[in-house]
Amino acid sequence: MDRQEAIEYLLEHYENPRNNGPMEDADVTMPGGNPGCGDVVTLYVKLNEAGDHVDRVTFEGQGCTISQAAASILTEMVEGKPLSEIDEMDFNDMIDELGREVVSNRPRCATLALGTLKAAIAKYRNDQVRADLAQS
Amino acid sequence: MAEYAHPEVLVETDWVAEHLHDPNVRLVECDEDLLLYDQGHIPGAIKIDWVADLNDAVVRDYLNREQFEQLMASNGISNDTTVIFYGDKNNWWATYALWVFKLFGHEDARIMNGGRTKWVAEGREMTREVPSYPQTTYKAPERDDATIRAFRDQVRQHINQKGGALVDVRGPQEFSGERTHMPEYPQEGTLRGGHIPTAVNIPWAKAVKEDATFKSPEELRALYEGQGVTPDKDVISYCRIGERSSHTWFVLKYLLGYPNVRNYDGSWTEWGNGVGLPIEKTYNQ
Repeated sequence: MDRQEAIEYLLEHYENPRNNGPMEDADVTMPGGNPGCGDVVTLYVKLNEAGDHVDRVTFEGQGCTISQAAASILTEMVEGKPLSEIDEMDFNDMIDELGREVVSNRPRCATLALGTLKAAIAKYRNDQVRADLAQS
Repeated sequence: MAEYAHPEVLVETDWVAEHLHDPNVRLVECDEDLLLYDQGHIPGAIKIDWVADLNDAVVRDYLNREQFEQLMASNGISNDTTVIFYGDKNNWWATYALWVFKLFGHEDARIMNGGRTKWVAEGREMTREVPSYPQTTYKAPERDDATIRAFRDQVRQHINQKGGALVDVRGPQEFSGERTHMPEYPQEGTLRGGHIPTAVNIPWAKAVKEDATFKSPEELRALYEGQGVTPDKDVISYCRIGERSSHTWFVLKYLLGYPNVRNYDGSWTEWGNGVGLPIEKTYNQ
């Protein structure tokens, strides 16, 4: 993907965001934000019954083109993925997916959604541990 | 209505529309949003990004003389080109770019009043076509860090001497120490919250109206003089990294004509983390 293709890819997602909006039956809701840029996203994550795969992710947010396009792209990337694969997803992978040449000067904007997703999964796991302890 | 002290540094959107094909005018869009220009910009405008184009990639500093000359030449800007900056967020980054241009003494640099917001609101022409201009030869002097730029040690001296004014242009919560970031912005890694001793708090955006144009000279004078920031003083403005305060620097220097105004670009990200630097904090919890 050359620079112009990367720009078009990002603009297309920014102008036509996928999976955009709240999710009423989300298992976990996680707000995230970016210092110095003013970008905010809230991710809504629904897991499968076993709680080990992402069923669906939606997002709401405000901010710059890159942060919002990245959130849209991420929701498509992770649909159906096992949580272990998301654990393995590297911020550099996200930057490469978006187009390194374009987004490398705004790494925090580019990785905001992924960081928020990882935080959402961490919260889900913590909540599960607490629930298990409460039951035992 | 009284005029601004240097009315020539502001151009209106009408003026820009009439000069779209003026070969001696170069429009420069500077945004916080890296891809806003790519969504559409004023025909003929080039983009200058504050990170990629104006900052040094390694040292926390600006580009050097050779790099500035190259930036100018590659964008078809000559020493006598009239450069018109505009951008998002009330021209916040446009004034920042203008300030950097002034570090290199570019003579004719102006701001489009109202910025991108006003141009779009007026339904004016936009394009996605990226222009290219013939390479120029640009000769810049060495960067002048003495006249309009302030450094940490100078600020430290400044707070102990009479006849100075220090303007903190961040939001009230940042000034008080309740937050280390703008409202609605997430926390960032500054160790301490508060402000530099002796500073008064005049948030930068108070200088603009709802349509993103600058307030009148009378309103601006009342805003700053009302807090003791008067033209007879040696004034330093600061914010978080020197971008919002470049907006206030522009207002004080060009719209109100203050003779001695500097921008402290180290700002709170340096001062709030600096070893041995005093702060004041009015928020207690």
